[in-house]
Amino acid sequence: MERPLSPFMFPTWYRFQITSALSILHRLTGIALAVGSILLAWWLVAVAAGGDVFAATHAFLVSPIGLLLLFGWSVAFYYHLCSGIRHLVWDAGYGFEIRSAYRSGYAVLAATVVLTVLTWLYVFLA
Amino acid sequence: MANNRSQSNSTALRDGSIFRRVSHLGSARNGLREWRLQRLTAIALIPLGLYFAISILRLATSDQTTAAAWLASPVPALLVILFVLAGLAHALVGLRSVFADYVHKRATLVVTELIARAATILLAGASILAVLKIFLGH
Repeated sequence: MERPLSPFMFPTWYRFQITSALSILHRLTGIALAVGSILLAWWLVAVAAGGDVFAATHAFLVSPIGLLLLFGWSVAFYYHLCSGIRHLVWDAGYGFEIRSAYRSGYAVLAATVVLTVLTWLYVFLA
Repeated sequence: MANNRSQSNSTALRDGSIFRRVSHLGSARNGLREWRLQRLTAIALIPLGLYFAISILRLATSDQTTAAAWLASPVPALLVILFVLAGLAHALVGLRSVFADYVHKRATLVVTELIARAATILLAGASILAVLKIFLGH
């Protein structure tokens, strides 16, 4: 029998559930943050180098593309942080009931939105 | 039933004896160490990540002098280095688990892991060197 492999399960074989969507999102944001660590290293090197290197980095970060990257970085960071705490609670053996899994899932989404909005309000208002 | 419940309620994160019990059994030989590293770095990254996020927010609109002055003090320099190290270790374990799931050809897997390891070490080295340069330069 031709068994479907994992990357192709989701659209065709699974009915959409918030729990599996959040699980995939945890991985995707993890990958995004791993790639985003290039930006972090680059910024640290730019601060150390100073002068033109820092000026160019700063100009890139405040450009529309830079801001979009930083916005994506902040969403991924907050989602992965909140979802990671949810995973740690599971690792400790709590919250496996379907009801609590759904509740914690929605709580993670809500926390991500609140933290991201607060962050960018601070950036643009402070 | 009661025994079942007590078993399902204890995990390797809470119960050290599980570690000893399974560490010589099959796939637990190598996997459990990575599992544990991923969880320990995850726990460390909660305070370190929040510290970094809040600090970087306060620097968001600042110039290079302010950012350099921040990294020149010992506590921020240390915490940023720890954040980078824990973050990259956590990232490498996570990326390797993604590769293990989706890269099915042995040769491709070896090359992919090599590239990921090299990139992680380069990024860690560059970040730490940058922080040390700022810290020692003051």
